[in-house]
Amino acid sequence: MHRFLFKQGECAQLQPFSHISEFGCKKIHNVQLHSLDVTSSDQLLIYFILEGKHEWLIGDQNYILYPGDLALILPGKLFGNPKGFLDLGAIMWLSLIPGRPCTHVAFDNWSSLHKPENRVIQNLLTVNAKPVINNFSLAGEIFHHMFTELTLAEIGYRSRVNQLIDELLISLARQISRQENKRRDFPQIFLKLEETLRQNLSHQWSVEEMAALVGLGTTSFTEKVKSFTGFSPLNYLINIRISESIKLLKRTEFSVTQIALETGFYSSQHFATTFKKITGYTPMHFKKNNT
Amino acid sequence: MDCIITIEIGTSHVRAVAFKLNGQIIDSRKGTYPTFHPLPHYSEQDPEQVFVTFLNVVRGLISEKIRPQKYNISAIGFSAAMHSVLPVDEKGVPLTNVMIWSDNRAKKEAESLKSSPQGKSIYQATGTPIHPMSPLVKIAWIKNENPEVFNRTHKFISLKEYILFQLTGSYYIDYSLASATGLFNITELNWEEQSLAFAGINADKLSQPVPVLFSGLKIRKGFRGMFALSAATKIIIGASDGCLATFGAAGRGKGRATVTLDTTGAVRIIDKKQLHTEDRQFFNYLLFEGCFVSGGPTNNGGSVFEWFNRQFLRNTGFSDYDAAFSKMFSEAAQVPPGSAGLIFLPYLLGERAPLWNANARGSYFGININHKKKHFVRATVEGVIYELFSIGKLLQEHRPIKELYVNGYLATLPFLSQLIADVFNKPVHVNSSTDSSATGLFFLLATELGIFNSLEEASVADSSYRIFTPNTSDNVVYMRYYEVFERLSNKLTEEFELIAKLQQGV
Repeated sequence: MHRFLFKQGECAQLQPFSHISEFGCKKIHNVQLHSLDVTSSDQLLIYFILEGKHEWLIGDQNYILYPGDLALILPGKLFGNPKGFLDLGAIMWLSLIPGRPCTHVAFDNWSSLHKPENRVIQNLLTVNAKPVINNFSLAGEIFHHMFTELTLAEIGYRSRVNQLIDELLISLARQISRQENKRRDFPQIFLKLEETLRQNLSHQWSVEEMAALVGLGTTSFTEKVKSFTGFSPLNYLINIRISESIKLLKRTEFSVTQIALETGFYSSQHFATTFKKITGYTPMHFKKNNT
Repeated sequence: MDCIITIEIGTSHVRAVAFKLNGQIIDSRKGTYPTFHPLPHYSEQDPEQVFVTFLNVVRGLISEKIRPQKYNISAIGFSAAMHSVLPVDEKGVPLTNVMIWSDNRAKKEAESLKSSPQGKSIYQATGTPIHPMSPLVKIAWIKNENPEVFNRTHKFISLKEYILFQLTGSYYIDYSLASATGLFNITELNWEEQSLAFAGINADKLSQPVPVLFSGLKIRKGFRGMFALSAATKIIIGASDGCLATFGAAGRGKGRATVTLDTTGAVRIIDKKQLHTEDRQFFNYLLFEGCFVSGGPTNNGGSVFEWFNRQFLRNTGFSDYDAAFSKMFSEAAQVPPGSAGLIFLPYLLGERAPLWNANARGSYFGININHKKKHFVRATVEGVIYELFSIGKLLQEHRPIKELYVNGYLATLPFLSQLIADVFNKPVHVNSSTDSSATGLFFLLATELGIFNSLEEASVADSSYRIFTPNTSDNVVYMRYYEVFERLSNKLTEEFELIAKLQQGV
């Protein structure tokens, strides 16, 4: 695929498609500063990786994308490379202008999706916690067809381009819903880990150590824990630490410092701030409320 | 702009969903906690961990998604899993971990109560089948096996009551959740004397029961600030997840039933009246006053498919069951209805409804020299659906069923939705929202806010987006085989007992 860029308002190809803001393919041979600063837009962005390894921030998490991976960035989400530039390689992207209100993914008149299905797909895309979809080469094929249609503009191409976008959205939604149901064996592995953590709660666990315990790399471990529990590994660990500290506050006469050490906080100050942030009360205030 | 937040305290996770007043989902957040099994038959959770997860999930959703978009929270409501028991002392401090619905340690207590005349009359009064899941027998277990904790207990509460107690300092339970405790008289709407006597407690050991739309919860200042609640935000106690999911999927329309199929399965209906039969124990849970969710659960759903996959299909190339299942169903689809005369009884885990026989065991019947592996695949799938149908058939003797609404991961797979339609010979609806208990709670809250004029009006707001129409000719085939299925299931009672005894002896 060679590079191209269609931009709404700047090229004739996109004139019949007011919902497409940009459609492009880019090869990056050398690093250009500020070519991908972290910002948020009011558009739905779909990036597909053709070549290279790309380290991106999406929402509040970092992701590494490889060829064949797709990133889905919802309107309003932060997106970019924390270093500010596009990594070497090649990418394709499509940015769609969502219907009003722009905080939502909504596909308007151009889409021929059956209305209730449209709503299901919108909901799936909106609540999806995992913006990166791995090994999704179908997207590359669809982008390729879109490019051909837009360039050749043969009979029926307007319908065809919109159909291709619909197809992309449907395949995306299916892939996401499959991933949602994928995690049947992880819970048991994770339960074992949780038991180990609870037995050694005063230890200063690092993500690397936890990942090693279940035999995963840190990136995939973090991703799995996040999608299974809803929390990053360290925040999940803090949940356990705070739960145990609540028990000790309620059931014992231990001092705040003692409890902090017992439950793995490195200082009573660190414990007090974390505790307040999560429960809304300082440890002492909480104890007074509950004893 | 205004929004409504539903909070679900489920078996494995807390999920908070923010809805616009028109029902569109703004965003949602989920956090999980584990179930511990320190001994066989034990299923416990850490109440503080559930509470901390609850705080994180709700605060995260509100502070990161709802406040930045300048939404004003009109109402918050709670849905929760049924049947949990947590003893707390006079300060509200938990004395043990919480026993959740799947905890089976009170087997002995359940069996002895079930076989007594008192058991029958308690079931009639409370609507909850006598089973180890029931909080009634769980409390009796604590009395018998852990008298030290029993004597120190100030209140026996559920996870939802515990979280509400943390937030407010008061003990309340909604009628819906209370109706799943085995301790609550669902006609008089108060604690049932016979149950209290069996559990060995007074009513003051339980929370105050209140209607599901009760809005007198006074949330402590610290939490009000944390959640950005205004004085106008309505805090509504809500109901149980099982009832709300049924309501969210099928609404209150006459002649509708829900079919749920996940790891386990169930068939449920909503009606103004309770459903009582002589010997079959349907559950009767209260959704709200004058509205009951009745039905029966089966043990043998997705777990049977998992077993079959693991043992016989060797679909080991798949790292997940989802892919394995879809391969299994595409294999099943190659065989015509009826599996060429092969019938499967799916009772691998004993059975609850409609046999209520823990000794029931599985069996393939009618095998002949022409049957191939693919026939076994299809027979296994059909057997699980026949079992659901057997519950629906019994329900139908008391309530006419015109259409079905499916929920749960498996039941909403198109192949199984169609099979359910064909076996039941009813149209099967799939709803557009996948989380029917959140939808049900949203209907409840939105009606309370006056957005809908009535719950009837609310419950038609989420229309089904796909309907599977039954193939009548296939139904004729299925019903011929179902007759044999039913006869075998009833005929084998004595043999089930013999084989279970032998198996336990090994």
